Amino acid sequence: MLNKIKEPFQHRRIKIDSTTSKSNDNEYTTRKKPRVENWWGTLKRIWKYLSESKGLITLVLFLVILSSSMALLGPFLVGWGIDAFIETQNTSGIGYLLAGLAAVYVLHSLSVWQQAFWMIRIAQKTVYQMRTQLFRHLQKLPIPFFDKRQHGELMSRVTNDMENVSNVLNSSVIQIFTSVLTLIGTLTVMLWLSPLLTFITLLIVPAMVFGMKWITKRTGVLFKEQQKNLGRLNGHIQETMSGQRIVKTFSQEDKVIGEFKERNERLKISGFWAQTFSGFIPKLMNVLNNLSFAVIAGVGGILAFNDVITIGTIVIFAEYARQFTRPLNDLANQFNTLLSAVAGAERVFDIMDEEEEMKDEGNAVELEKITGDVRFSDVSFSYEEDGDTVNNVSFHASPGETVAFVGPTGAGKTTMINLLSRFYDADSGSILIDGHEIKTIKRESLRKHMAFVLQDSFLFHGTIRENIRYGRLDATDEDVVEAAKLANAHSFIMKSADGYDTFIDADGGGISQGQKQLLSIARAILANPTILILDEATSSIDTVTEIRIQEALQRLMKGRTSFVIAHRLNTIQKADQIIILKDGEIIERGSHTSLLRQDGFYAELYNSQLKKEAMLG
Amino acid sequence: MRKVLSFLGPYRFAVYMALFFTFVELGVELFQPFLLARIIDDGIVAGDMSVVVLWGSVMVGMSLIAFAAGILNSFYAAHASQSTGYDMRSALFNKVQSFSFANFSQFPTSSLITRMTNDVTLLQNAMFMALRIMLRAPLLVIGSVIMALIVNVKLALILVVAVPLLITFLIFMMSKAGRIFRSVQEKLDGVNGVMQENLAGIRLIKAFIRRKHESKRFSEASGQLRDRTVKALRLVELSMPVILLIMNISIMAVLWFGSFEVQTGGATVGEVVAIVNYTTRMTMALSVFSMIVMFFSRAKASSARIVDVLETEVDLVDTEESNAATRITDGKIVFNSVSFKYPDTDTYVLRNVSFEAKAGERVAILGATGSGKSTLFQLIPRLYDVDEGKITIDGKDIRDMKLNVLRKQIGFVPQEAMLFTGTIRENIAWGKETATMEEIELATKHAQLYETIKDLPNGYETRLGQKGVNLSGGQKQRLSIARALVRNPKILLLDDSTSALDVKTEQKLLKSLKEYSCTTLMITQKMSTTMKADTILLLEDGELLAKGSHDELMRSSTLYQKIYQSQFGDGGTHHA
Repeated sequence: MLNKIKEPFQHRRIKIDSTTSKSNDNEYTTRKKPRVENWWGTLKRIWKYLSESKGLITLVLFLVILSSSMALLGPFLVGWGIDAFIETQNTSGIGYLLAGLAAVYVLHSLSVWQQAFWMIRIAQKTVYQMRTQLFRHLQKLPIPFFDKRQHGELMSRVTNDMENVSNVLNSSVIQIFTSVLTLIGTLTVMLWLSPLLTFITLLIVPAMVFGMKWITKRTGVLFKEQQKNLGRLNGHIQETMSGQRIVKTFSQEDKVIGEFKERNERLKISGFWAQTFSGFIPKLMNVLNNLSFAVIAGVGGILAFNDVITIGTIVIFAEYARQFTRPLNDLANQFNTLLSAVAGAERVFDIMDEEEEMKDEGNAVELEKITGDVRFSDVSFSYEEDGDTVNNVSFHASPGETVAFVGPTGAGKTTMINLLSRFYDADSGSILIDGHEIKTIKRESLRKHMAFVLQDSFLFHGTIRENIRYGRLDATDEDVVEAAKLANAHSFIMKSADGYDTFIDADGGGISQGQKQLLSIARAILANPTILILDEATSSIDTVTEIRIQEALQRLMKGRTSFVIAHRLNTIQKADQIIILKDGEIIERGSHTSLLRQDGFYAELYNSQLKKEAMLG
Repeated sequence: MRKVLSFLGPYRFAVYMALFFTFVELGVELFQPFLLARIIDDGIVAGDMSVVVLWGSVMVGMSLIAFAAGILNSFYAAHASQSTGYDMRSALFNKVQSFSFANFSQFPTSSLITRMTNDVTLLQNAMFMALRIMLRAPLLVIGSVIMALIVNVKLALILVVAVPLLITFLIFMMSKAGRIFRSVQEKLDGVNGVMQENLAGIRLIKAFIRRKHESKRFSEASGQLRDRTVKALRLVELSMPVILLIMNISIMAVLWFGSFEVQTGGATVGEVVAIVNYTTRMTMALSVFSMIVMFFSRAKASSARIVDVLETEVDLVDTEESNAATRITDGKIVFNSVSFKYPDTDTYVLRNVSFEAKAGERVAILGATGSGKSTLFQLIPRLYDVDEGKITIDGKDIRDMKLNVLRKQIGFVPQEAMLFTGTIRENIAWGKETATMEEIELATKHAQLYETIKDLPNGYETRLGQKGVNLSGGQKQRLSIARALVRNPKILLLDDSTSALDVKTEQKLLKSLKEYSCTTLMITQKMSTTMKADTILLLEDGELLAKGSHDELMRSSTLYQKIYQSQFGDGGTHHA
C-alpha cells in the first residue's frame, strides 16, 4: 500500500540543466540541452503556413466573434424574458421572445459549427503542407544524411511530431480566440462594476505569470525530450522490424526486447514528467482563481462593511471573477498543448533546415545530350575525416567504352560510382563528363543520363510492371515486356501467379534475390541511358542465366559508356578497360589480354578463378 | 476495449488516487459559494468582521488544499497513463517478436510501427484526460438533473427527456466517429509506409531522379490522410453545436412551460430561474463532452488496432511435444520428402525434396535464380514450417525442438547483409551476447575481416549506420559471417553470402571455416566453391534434380555440366 502511494514519485528525475555534470542513479541527464528558446521563431513559421489561408482565418475569426456574442446574448434575453413575462405573469408576447431566442440559439450553434468546420480545413491543409514539404525536402537531402540517420527516427517526425501540430491547430486557434474575447469582455464588465475589486483580481496575474514561467521552463524541455525519445523508440522498432529475419534466425528476440525496454523506459520517464508538469498548469490556475475569490470575498466584505459597495456587487463580481479566470484557465491549457506542438514542429523544421543536396552550384548547367566521355583526374575522397578511401585516381573512358573495376572488397569500387553519380562529392581532383566538371552540372541533369543497377536491388511495394516502369515512367506495357525479355526476367514473371501484375511485398517472400536483380536490370534497360552503371548487377544470378543476360547486356552496353563492377571476371573480359583498384589506388589497368600479359594482380586473380586444376589439386 | 482497459489493472491504485483527488478538488469548488454565503449572511449583514476574516481564511486554506490535491492528481494520473502506455508498448513489441513470418505478412511494418507509437500515445492521452477532467462533466450533469428535480419535478422533466436524448446522440457519434478515426489511422499507416520505402530506397530514387514521382505518391497518401482527418474531425465537431442547440431548446421549453406554470401556480418564479440556471450549468459541463467524444472515439479506434495485434494467433510456436532438452549434437540434417509453399499461395516452391547432410559435411546448393534455394534454407531454422514431409536434425524432427534452442545452434548468414546501428563489436556480439573480445577477434579473423577492422581508426568501436553504409558490400558480408561464426554454430547456413567477395578472400574464408566442426550448407553460384563441397545439391524449379560429388555430377547431370561450362568455358570439361 505504502509503496503504491509512493510509486508516482519514484520515477527517475530528468536533469534539465546539463551544466552540473554529477548525476546520481535516480536521474538521467539529457546529453544535450534541447533548445526551446526559439519557440517564437517556430510559432512564426507555423503562422506562415496558416496565413496562406488568410481569408478563411478571417472568416473563422468573424464566426468566433459571432458565436461569442450570441453566447452572451442568449442568457441576457433569458434574464430579460424572466423579468418581463414570467415575473409579471404576462404571457402575451412571450412568443416573440421565444422566436428571438430561437434565432439567437440557432445562430449560436451554426457559428460554433461553422468555425470548427473551417478551422479543421485550415489546420489539416497546413499539416498536409508541412508534411509534404518535409518529404520533398527529405528527397533533396544528400545521401550522407540518410546514411547517418536512423530511418524510423525520421519517420517519427512525419507521423508523431506532425500529429502534435495537427492536434493543436484543430482546436487551439479557436480556443485562443474565444478565450481572449471572453477575457476582454469580462474585464470590461468588471471594471464597470468596481475598478478597485478588478484591480485586486488582477493581482493574481503576476503570480500566474511567474507560475507559468516556472512550469513551462520545464515542460518545454520535457516535451521535446519526450518527442525525441519517441523518435528513438520508433527508430529501434523500425530497425528490428526490417531485420526480423536476423533477429529470428539468431534467436535474439530477448536481446531486442531488452533494447526496446530501455528506450521504452526513457520514453515513459520523460512522458511522465512532461505530463505531470503540464498537469500543474490548470491546477495553478484553479488555486489562483480560488484565492482571488477568497480575496474578493474578504476585501469585498470589508468594503461592504464600510458601505463602499453593496452586497449585490460582491455576489455579481465574484461570479464575474470566476468567469475571468475561466478563459485564463483555458488559455493556460492551450498553452500546454501548444508547447508540445512547438516541440514537434521544431523537430520537423530541424530537418527542413538541413542543407539540401540540390543546391547546385549557382551557375550549374543542364546537359541536354552527352556523348558519355568520362574523365577522372587525380580524384581523392574519404567518407570519414581521416583515411583515404580513394586516392589520386585518374582514368578516361571514351564514349561507348566499357570500363570494369576490379579489386578486393573495400578497395573503393562502389565509391567510384558514388562519386560519378554525385551521391558523394570528391574531396579533391576533378571528374569531367564531356569536358564539363560534374560539379557544374545540375545533379538531376547528370543522373538523367545514367542508369543504375545498384548492389542491393531495391524494389518498391507494387506490381512487377510498376517496378520495371520505374526506369522510364512513360514507357508502354510493350516496352516493359521488351525490357523484361532482354533481362531474361520474362519467363519467371510469366510463371508468377499474376504475371506482370504480381504484387511485390516490401520484404517479399515470393521473389528471390536473383529475380530482384533481373528486375533491376530490366529497369535499367528501360531507362535507356547514355551512361550505364552496373554494380554487382548479376552477383545473385546463377551463371547459366547470367550468360544469357550477358549477351543482352553486351547489346545494351554497345554505344553507351558503361561502368561495371563484377567479381566474376569472365563477365568483364570483353571490357575495353579493366581498372584494378587496391586500397583506393589504381594498381593496374588495361585490357584483359594486356593485363594477363602483365602477369600481375589481375592475372593471378583470373587464374585463381579459372584454373580449376589448381583448385581441385 | 476491455482488453486494453485490462492494462490499467496494475495501476488501479493510482487510478483511484487520481480520481479521489479530483473529487477533493470538485468538493472544494462546490463548497466555495456556500462559504461566500456565510461571509455575507453571518459577517457583513450581521456586521461581524471576525466572521469575515474567519471564513475568508477558511476559503484560502481550502484553496490550498485543492491545489495540493490537484498537484497530487497530476502525479497519479500521469503515472497511471504513462505506465499503462509503457506496458502496452512492451506487450505489443513482445508479441510482435513472437510473430512468425506468416504473421508478419498480415501487418505491414509501417503499420506495426504506427500502432506501437502513435496509437498507444493516443490512448495514453485519452487516459490522462479521463483521469483529470472528464469525470467532472458527467458528475456535474447528474448533479444538476437531481437538483432540478428537487426544485420542481414537472419542469425538470424537460431535462429528464433532453439528457438521455443527448447521451444517445453522443454514443451514436462515438461509434460513428470511431470507425472514421480507424480509417484515419490506416491512412497514417499509408503515409508511414511511403516514407519508410523512400528512406530505404533513397539511392535508387536519386539515381533514377524520381523525386517528383515519389513526392506525388507521398502527396497522395498525405492527402488521403488529410481528407479522412477532416471528415472525422468535422463529424466530431458537430457534437458541440448539437449539444448547445438541444440544451438551449430545453431552456426555451422551460421558459414556455414555466410561464404557464407560474400563472397556474404550479411553479414559482424562483423555481423557473433556478432550473434555467441549472440548465445553463449543464450546458457548460456538456461542452466538455465534445472533447470526450473525440478522445473516446479515437481511443476506441486505436485500441481496436492494438488488440488486433495482441490477439493475432502466432502460428509457429513450441508445441507441448517440443523437448527443451533436445540439442543438436552432431548436426546431421535430413530432408524427408519436403514440400513447401508460402502461406496464401498456391504453387509449391519446393516439391518432394529429400537429401541428407552428414555431420560436419559441407554441402553446396546450386540452382537457377528462383529455384528455391533460399526457401530451403529458411525451413531449417523454422522461419516457416514444412507443408509436407519432415526435416530432422540428428534424427529428431525439428518441430519437436524448442525454437530458440534450435536457432541458437544455427549460424545464419543471409543474402543481404543486414547490420544494426551500433559499433562493429556490437554487431558481431549480436551473434553471441556473452562473447569475449578474444572470441570476437577470432571470428573476425576467420571471416577475413580482422585486417580491415584493425586499419579503422576506431577499430572494433567504429560505429555503423543503420544499413552498415560505411562499409563496402563485401565487408558487410564478412561482418555478417563473423556474426554467425562467433556463436560457434553446429549448423552454418551461408546464403550466397560470399557473392561480393573476391575469389582470393573467399578461398581463404572457406578454408578457415574448416576450423569449425559444423555442418555447413552453402548456396552459391561459384563453381570454384561447389567443387570443394562434399555433396552438391542441384535444384531446379523447386525439385532436387541431382545430388552427389562434383565428379559424379559432372558425369550424370547435363545441367551441372552446363553451369560448369558457363564459368570455365568448354575447354574445362575434361580435367585431370
